[in-house]
Amino acid sequence: MTMATVETSPGLMDRLSTMASNLVKVTTTKAPIGQTPRQTIWTLNKATLYRYTPVVPAEKRHPVPLLLVFALMNKSSILDLRPGNSFVEYMLSKGYDLYLLDWGTPGPEDSQLGLGDYALEYLPRAIRKLKSVSGSETFSLLGWCIGAMLSTVYASLRPTEGLKNLILLTAPLDFTEKEKIPLATMASEAYFDVDRVLQANGNMPAGLIDYGAKMLKPVENFIGGYTRLFDNLDNTRVVDSWHAMNTWVSDAIPLAGAAFRQFIVDFYRGNKLMQGTLAVRGERVDLGQLRAGVLNVIGEDDHITPPCQSENLLGKLGSTDKQLLRVPGGHIGIMAGSAAAKGTWPKIEAWLSPRSG
Amino acid sequence: MSQETGTKKAFSLVRNLLGARDSFLEDFARVTHAVTATNAWQQANAALAKPVLLFSAILKQKREAAMSDLLAKLNMPSREDVLTLSQRLTRIEMVLDDLGAGVDQLRRVAERPQRPAAREASTREPRPSTVLAALTPEPQAPAQHSKEA
Repeated sequence: MTMATVETSPGLMDRLSTMASNLVKVTTTKAPIGQTPRQTIWTLNKATLYRYTPVVPAEKRHPVPLLLVFALMNKSSILDLRPGNSFVEYMLSKGYDLYLLDWGTPGPEDSQLGLGDYALEYLPRAIRKLKSVSGSETFSLLGWCIGAMLSTVYASLRPTEGLKNLILLTAPLDFTEKEKIPLATMASEAYFDVDRVLQANGNMPAGLIDYGAKMLKPVENFIGGYTRLFDNLDNTRVVDSWHAMNTWVSDAIPLAGAAFRQFIVDFYRGNKLMQGTLAVRGERVDLGQLRAGVLNVIGEDDHITPPCQSENLLGKLGSTDKQLLRVPGGHIGIMAGSAAAKGTWPKIEAWLSPRSG
Repeated sequence: MSQETGTKKAFSLVRNLLGARDSFLEDFARVTHAVTATNAWQQANAALAKPVLLFSAILKQKREAAMSDLLAKLNMPSREDVLTLSQRLTRIEMVLDDLGAGVDQLRRVAERPQRPAAREASTREPRPSTVLAALTPEPQAPAQHSKEA
């Protein structure tokens, strides 16, 4: 009875053919991601500053440019995943003059690069170029994950260099409640010898970072994604979305050794930023000096950077204009998930738009 | 009617199988999450990683020493030399970046509309050899474009 039903199902061959072609696609190719047209306007070592080609006429554009800064250990293409699901595309359509600082992939020669180099050398230089190209003396900064951490350090140490608005996404800044932060247990001194890892590798290998993050939810990360693909193999739209995300996830990059060491020792173990004892290149980072308007976005289901890692941040900042935004979703899902275009992005844009005039 | 019921049953079967799989995965996820969150798991991981890292570090050291010897015998620069050179190039790049930014700034100053008095003065006494004149925008060489498009 069942067999008869299957044999006579209309379009079965089409469906099987779609499933086969989708399976071949995801197993043999990489999805095209980061496709929005852009120009390279500055480079330094491995870092590159891009300017996205505006799609709105100059007179209708916001005068304050927006600079996107992503984390150090993954590629920034997540901000421009694919047409129709791209934060970059969305913000361009809303009339922003948009720039992206891509840190690049560190090589063995970059193992001495520390957070100070990124926050006080690369970032200010990129900003200088942005100001020169845009002609604007003020700018907005959006930092995601470690990018948010670097942006916060920069904004605290250089409060008078034109930063008008700071948007922090899933920022790992506060390590007070270590028991609520799964990665903090993994990175604790008792279980993780950071010096030995760096001695053996120079930089923190991408594979180890990826493994550590995935082991926070092993079944979901190692099996769950594939069951979702299997269930939707005949749905090309879902498969394309999965393929793009999988391409990005499997393209992790190493983290410069010195920066990784500081991240583990000063942040995860020492919680120095929140305690006011963090020194970067000899300068003490005082969050009270941060003057820009701040939007702090927290993913309610974020297990990599749980809400406790930044929900108490605003009280420490010297800014008068600051807001906490909680959005449903995980560490990446809040910005790249299917609901981001109707959830997180419009909320960020609604906050930023009146402040970009 | 019976065929309809049969179809429904077939689809329910698939749904049930998928449901059973999902509930199994959920339980499995809960268990693995509980296990990987324990100190014992972290200790086991650390115990496993320690010899691997130690061995990797020693291997790396030996490999680099052997390579250095070989390169020295071949009268070629060592890995350290190349790394140092790369870091020096980055520092040079930073100096060039500063110079480029300075030129940009001067260019902007030069492009600003001159005040009437200054304009009159410049009309009376044209001085094409000033620094600002030298820094006025000119078509850039293609080599420069490769760095700053």
